[in-house]
Amino acid sequence: MDALIYTVMSGAERIQRAQAVHANNLANMETAGFRANLEQAGAAQVKGYGYDARHLAKARSDVVSARAGSQRDTGRDLDLAVEGEGLFAVTQDGPSGREAYTRSGNFTVDADGTLRLGRHAVLGEGGPIVLPPHDKLEVQADGTISVLSNGQPELQTVDRLKLVKPPFSQLTKNEAGLLVTRDGSTPAADPAVQVAKGKLESSNVSAVEEMVATMNLARDFELQMRLYKAADGMADTGNRLVRE
Amino acid sequence: MNPAMWISKTGVQAQDAKLQAIANNLANVNTVGFKRDRVMFEDLFYQVERQPGAQAEDGTAAPTGVQLGNGTRMVGTQKVFTNGSLQTTGQSMDVAIVGNGFLQVEGPNGRPAYTRAGQLNLSPEGRLTTALGQRLQPEITVPVNAKSLTIGENGVVSITVADNAAPQEIGQLRLTQFVNPAGLLALGDNLYQETGASGAPTEGVPGENGLGKLKQGALEGSNVQVVEEMVDMIAAQRTYEMNTKVLSAADNMLQVLAQAAR
Repeated sequence: MDALIYTVMSGAERIQRAQAVHANNLANMETAGFRANLEQAGAAQVKGYGYDARHLAKARSDVVSARAGSQRDTGRDLDLAVEGEGLFAVTQDGPSGREAYTRSGNFTVDADGTLRLGRHAVLGEGGPIVLPPHDKLEVQADGTISVLSNGQPELQTVDRLKLVKPPFSQLTKNEAGLLVTRDGSTPAADPAVQVAKGKLESSNVSAVEEMVATMNLARDFELQMRLYKAADGMADTGNRLVRE
Repeated sequence: MNPAMWISKTGVQAQDAKLQAIANNLANVNTVGFKRDRVMFEDLFYQVERQPGAQAEDGTAAPTGVQLGNGTRMVGTQKVFTNGSLQTTGQSMDVAIVGNGFLQVEGPNGRPAYTRAGQLNLSPEGRLTTALGQRLQPEITVPVNAKSLTIGENGVVSITVADNAAPQEIGQLRLTQFVNPAGLLALGDNLYQETGASGAPTEGVPGENGLGKLKQGALEGSNVQVVEEMVDMIAAQRTYEMNTKVLSAADNMLQVLAQAAR
């Protein structure tokens, strides 16, 4: 059988996967702190008999866009946004105890006072941050959290958010959509990272880019289907040649 | 089938839910003590696929893989407990809570419920109730011969009677606060109830231990900001549209595929 049809198949498969990546980015356009997944096409050479021209297309997507999203004012005390580069550190699911990183700063306090991002505990300098009962909460630009507790005249420092700044090229997403380092290392806290209180960073998905990519992929897919037909036509012609 | 279709579906659904929350917020622009809902989204789990066969040019195994996200999902709605603006009404039975805290009332199912709407009323027996008739806890009974009623910043309710110049204290309103008010269950009717996420209620005197002061003759307006909601609405609507576009693009791809393979 002609190899063309398999090459076409790999192209069409690649496009479907790429389309899924863009669909996911667009679906998360309103997810606070979301980082867009970048999608790339790669070639995988098929070794063995035949010409050296057979390269199948493969979708790759394990790189995350580092672009900053726009910040929105929310006025809520526990909405934090990282200014410039940097990430919040949270715990991962499961017993591994490894850290994961995120730009999403929509924190809540659970019944025990533990600061959480969804179900993940937010990490400070010495593990998860636990807030005492308080009336007022302040977060300084360097991530220091202080509270005004019952009856106290002055703010008391509770902990400082662990803020890290690993290069984005070292980061990849885990199954939960949090960022983790590729080699499993734990970056140290970076004192230069700044946060802003009462703000949330929106998703960094660019609607234009995603829509253009989607259109492009849909047309690419049509092209692959043309080639598929051409391969079919060639095989058909071959068959007729034998018959006649 | 094309996975992009289901992924876009999650996006469309999420925006649909968001529009619903925005509509509810806008509908409650004039509800006393209303706290706006905010819809939070999260990306769904990723299929992290490693391709062990994929080798880089120089023979080393490249750490390339495919991470296919499965779309978005609504994590939940969050009540945003910022304070609404105070409206002066001049009514002696109106109290606004300036700061943290809730008034405790007898809830619909016998359990205590909490509210920030301070439009107080009197029941036929003279007890202080909310606008919907739920009795305030602790109960305060206003005598029939009361001429005027004063509520102090610390919650002390005093009355004057016709033939006595000195005010007479008849009780004290108390406030309750929670570690995580966003975790309260909204019952509707401006009422909230304690949940496992909110933490246990702590009761106290208004103005002490971080509780807000009471302000007689004022009401706390809704904290919905109309412009913000409208902008959110436009964003949600357009995101909805773009997700449907991807949906139809994915559909088109399948159509072309079906036509090609006759």
